[in-house]
Amino acid sequence: MSRVTIAVLLPLLICLLILPTVQAADSYAYKTPEQIQQALRDLVGAHKGSAQIQSLAVTPGQRDLSLLMLGNKNGDKPAIFVIANPEADYPIASEAALVLAQKLVGDWKDKLDSYRWYILPCANPDGYANFFSKPAVNNFGNGKSVNNDNDDAFDEDGPDDVNGDGLITMMRQKHPEGEWIPVPDNPVLMKRADAEKGEVGQYRLIPEGFDNDSDGEINEDGPGGVNIGCNFPHRFQHYQPENGLWAASEAESQGILRFAFDHPEIAMIIVLGRNNTIREVPSSDNRSEAMKDKYRLPGWMARNLGIDPEQEFPMKELIEMGREFTGNPNLDEDMIMRFLGAGAAVNPDKDDLSYWTEITEQYKKFIEDAELPDKRLANPGFSSGSIAEWAYYQYGVPTFCMDFWTLPEVEKKPEEPADSTILTPEKLEKMSNDEFLALGEEKIAKFMKDNDVPSHFTPQMVMQGVKGGMMTTEKMAKMIRDGKKKKEGGGADPTEEALYSFNPDAFVSWQKYNHPTLGEVEVGGMKPYSTVLPPADKVDELISKQLPFVLTLADKLPQLDIAKVEVEKKSSGVYKIDAWIVNNGFLPNPTHQGKRCMRPVPVVATLQGDNLEFLEGKERVPIRLLEGSGGTEKVTWLIGGKDGASVSLQLAGPTFGNVVRSIALKGGTK
Amino acid sequence: MKRVIRYASILALVALCLSVSTAFAQKPVLTFDHLYNNDQIVDALRLLNKAYPNLTTLESIGKTEENRDIWLFTINNPKTGKDTDKPGIYVDGTIHGNEVQATEVCLYLAYYLLNSYGEIENITKLVDNKAFYIIPIVNVDNRARFFTDPADYNYRRSAVVPFDDDHDGLADEDDIDDLDGDNEILEMRIRDPFGEYKTNPDDPRMMIRVKPGEKGEWRRLGEEGIDNDGDGQLNEDGPGYLDMNRNYGFKWQPPYVQGGAGEYPMSAKVPHAIANFVITKPNICFDFAFHNSGRLWVRGPGSKLAGMYSPQDVRVYDYLGEEAEKITPGYRYIIGSRDMYTTHGDFDEFMYSTLGIYGFVGELYSSIKETYRPYGEKEERDQQASYWGDSPEEERLKFNDRLMQGQMFKEWAKFNHPQFGEIEIGGWRKFTTRIPQPFMLNELVHRNASVVIFTASQTPEVSLELIDVKDLGNGLKRVRVRATNPNAMPSLSSKIMRENIIRKDIFKIEGVEVVSGGIIDDIPMERIEFVEHRPWMIFTNVPSFDKRDIQWIVRGSGTATVTYDGLKAINQTMKIKL
Repeated sequence: MSRVTIAVLLPLLICLLILPTVQAADSYAYKTPEQIQQALRDLVGAHKGSAQIQSLAVTPGQRDLSLLMLGNKNGDKPAIFVIANPEADYPIASEAALVLAQKLVGDWKDKLDSYRWYILPCANPDGYANFFSKPAVNNFGNGKSVNNDNDDAFDEDGPDDVNGDGLITMMRQKHPEGEWIPVPDNPVLMKRADAEKGEVGQYRLIPEGFDNDSDGEINEDGPGGVNIGCNFPHRFQHYQPENGLWAASEAESQGILRFAFDHPEIAMIIVLGRNNTIREVPSSDNRSEAMKDKYRLPGWMARNLGIDPEQEFPMKELIEMGREFTGNPNLDEDMIMRFLGAGAAVNPDKDDLSYWTEITEQYKKFIEDAELPDKRLANPGFSSGSIAEWAYYQYGVPTFCMDFWTLPEVEKKPEEPADSTILTPEKLEKMSNDEFLALGEEKIAKFMKDNDVPSHFTPQMVMQGVKGGMMTTEKMAKMIRDGKKKKEGGGADPTEEALYSFNPDAFVSWQKYNHPTLGEVEVGGMKPYSTVLPPADKVDELISKQLPFVLTLADKLPQLDIAKVEVEKKSSGVYKIDAWIVNNGFLPNPTHQGKRCMRPVPVVATLQGDNLEFLEGKERVPIRLLEGSGGTEKVTWLIGGKDGASVSLQLAGPTFGNVVRSIALKGGTK
Repeated sequence: MKRVIRYASILALVALCLSVSTAFAQKPVLTFDHLYNNDQIVDALRLLNKAYPNLTTLESIGKTEENRDIWLFTINNPKTGKDTDKPGIYVDGTIHGNEVQATEVCLYLAYYLLNSYGEIENITKLVDNKAFYIIPIVNVDNRARFFTDPADYNYRRSAVVPFDDDHDGLADEDDIDDLDGDNEILEMRIRDPFGEYKTNPDDPRMMIRVKPGEKGEWRRLGEEGIDNDGDGQLNEDGPGYLDMNRNYGFKWQPPYVQGGAGEYPMSAKVPHAIANFVITKPNICFDFAFHNSGRLWVRGPGSKLAGMYSPQDVRVYDYLGEEAEKITPGYRYIIGSRDMYTTHGDFDEFMYSTLGIYGFVGELYSSIKETYRPYGEKEERDQQASYWGDSPEEERLKFNDRLMQGQMFKEWAKFNHPQFGEIEIGGWRKFTTRIPQPFMLNELVHRNASVVIFTASQTPEVSLELIDVKDLGNGLKRVRVRATNPNAMPSLSSKIMRENIIRKDIFKIEGVEVVSGGIIDDIPMERIEFVEHRPWMIFTNVPSFDKRDIQWIVRGSGTATVTYDGLKAINQTMKIKL
């Protein structure tokens, strides 16, 4: 290659490398809370018949918490409540909510016939305003003043743009107490020194700022109060100032809760933000009292009953005992749990999980069909104190969290072992269990040695495990990989690593600075918000390609109907009516967790007519839980009525709407 | 007509009080030989406020669901400082609408403190050095309705917030019904040879259980009412249920875990207003919430979720609880979750676990007081017989006959029930069982108010003294200062210290250059916890029945000023000559 070609190609190559990263900068025109308000007003102005705005609260920062209501105001339709960006840390979610609103009054107008839509595009406007502040800071609290460090002043020591680059990043300083070292071969990333590997910490990392109140702490009490996204009553975490003093302590969370309880027609809640519960089923491994196998009775009660207070009983036995003791045949597990103070459910109900699993399958396929990248970092499922957890666990409606983008996973080429006889985890997981066993003890021993399987495992144990079905080739491959990951651990934070590989410009290189109290430091590191901002030119596409799944979710709602009615004349003026109520939708009505928390308002079958006499059955029959895809309940009445008269059977409930059937009292006897 | 009579009686009361007040040194007279309805309570508070304008304020801190005012009565002497500069005691009553006499304890406390001010030295000192925040009626709506509407002694506990108890899609559709129109809800019974009860041959008003094999006579049907919604259940969905004492915000649990919890923490208007009031008064050291009944002083934890209370705080509770037991003989000092049942979202747990404020629930009265027996016979036997300590019914009926001339029990009377046919209605009346008879009220309010007064006297009182000033040479001096607190409550609870709930006390030295500073753990051993930054300002607390020693090394001469600035104790200043 000639020098000239290199001279021409090199800049071109550099351009190619740099261009995408330049575009990845935050040049997308995200709307400020005020612009979001304006966008809502504009939309309502253009669609007066079908759109209204309601302010749910005024924030401590004097902003309106504005909700958009779409669809027929008086229609008895189920409503879908879409809440965006409650933790104020995920700008694309607010944009997506506005696009959803536009679509619903445009291309997707037919969805206004099926459902009513409540859209809250910016659930934490005070917190979100910080994203637009200069310098930008990671601060998601509302405008309430909180004395985070409980000293003699409020908000007296916030972050400061020490080097005047318009960004709040980090400071590093060589210090004997330092626990950090630079990541080898990387100019900006830092990692915690791993003493077990003989690494010695060199630097301490401190957020960029001054010790404004000379208490020895930097940025320990900045402006800003409570993060609305952590202020909800399920698994609320006390004693963290940014969560609030108690759940629902803030005007914003109160406004959202009040609205939800005042609108029993809300049948589903979708949270757009930095959580995702549809890529993976939310985890079920939270610990709680409610999960125990056996329970003790309260001491005084055990003594009264002449039982050893130390003795523990399985739930089944407690229910039987309780029924006998109270004479209440309807005493159930929930009542016992309440009495024992066992606490709330903290894991998704196992019967709800089967529906959830199917939805994750459909989401995977949807992402594949939309040609969206699937190899990206995972966002958390449910978070404690979040709107979403409250919506599922306490409000009792189907709840889904959807994100739109995370950093791509760092593509790590699987290291091809020089020795091709080594059985790698990749090869292993392609083998069947029988093929693995066929390798024989010697080869399995070599495989274990090559893959550093801990020495307390013997080949015989492994083979026994595979034979007994406790172990599979897939499980083993995963265990080996996890073991390797653990060994490689102590490296840079995986998110930072992914960000660096995606966009090195998201980091400020370390620059010397003479700090007034710390002395010489270097300022640099990750720019705020850079892990949540997709490339600007991809934002619109990411939204438009993923939003249709919101409609898919909406269409999963239960669909109740009167499948069949049979009338049988038992005697003159006496009729038996059998009605089969069926759920044709995908989701159960209500969810299994909804049944536990007695929400939403039940669907009720009501039989009405002139001078009806109910010989068996009651006029109103609340319908119990109907599973999805054909769950059925038979309701039977024996009534006295005039031969030939007409009675009406109504099926109604706020999350459902209503269906009415007219039934003639006639027909023969069986 | 009824309204007019009531209005007239209030006027009479006020007139009486005013006339008395002119006669006797302008002091209003309130009597505690009857229960006050809500209007009378507010009139009495206005009267006290008018008589003691310099010591009291009366204000509404919000409105209830039915748009009634939530009244706060504050006692503070502004001449001795702002309320928030002094240790505060918070007292409320009747969070459950039927537990009416709790309000009289609050009113009596205010009345007694004010009328004794300037006459009884202890009380004058107390009023001058503490602030009292009194909310006599928490459940304003249902206490009002308890007096005017049909109710029994267990009824109208809830806030007025509709709730679909039986989850049938309708809220509050099957309330009790005052069938016989006597404005009371009594018990219904029906003749039934298979019933579990028969008439007590010794007292025909009383039913006793039949022995196995014996023929029955009565079936108990429950409270007066009809199956209004025709669902086969009686009175299963009355107004509410939202129990405000399950609606507070510490580890609040939803209704499927905690019955009556409400939709979300502080969703009811009164808890919301009270929580937002108490957080503006960080000087509150102790709270009392009066209820009925059981004769108990209850402290938390109310549930396992609250975790263990710290040993230092338990010592404070035990000291005050054991004193309270003696001031109110027959009352037991207990732990809610251990000795009673689990509660989530109650006021007391909120105050302690969220705000670090100590508190007791006072469960006033027990029907065990309705005795008819020779002097000296012990009560324990009955207390064991029933967890709540009810007297045996035959004894209560004698008490009713001989002491109350039959006013407590309504004789069984035939009634033609629209659903059950011929039944009988009768039983214990509204102002009984959980509520003392008028002649017993005076002692009850005085003893319980005395517990509040003793507890108020045990709020932190910090004073500063100089231990010594030592010349270290080289222009340096060591200054050692002691803060003492002779009372049972520390200046900040261990809960506050552990969870960093509010600002700690600040010991500050000014007027000199401060070289170093710290808390002295042990004087003879010279063990000192040095403060690395801002050594002129030391954040800590002053323990109960104990001291806190502080050391500074300073450069300078002349006079230094040492200040103690605490949120829950009166601030102190001391000049030190170097």
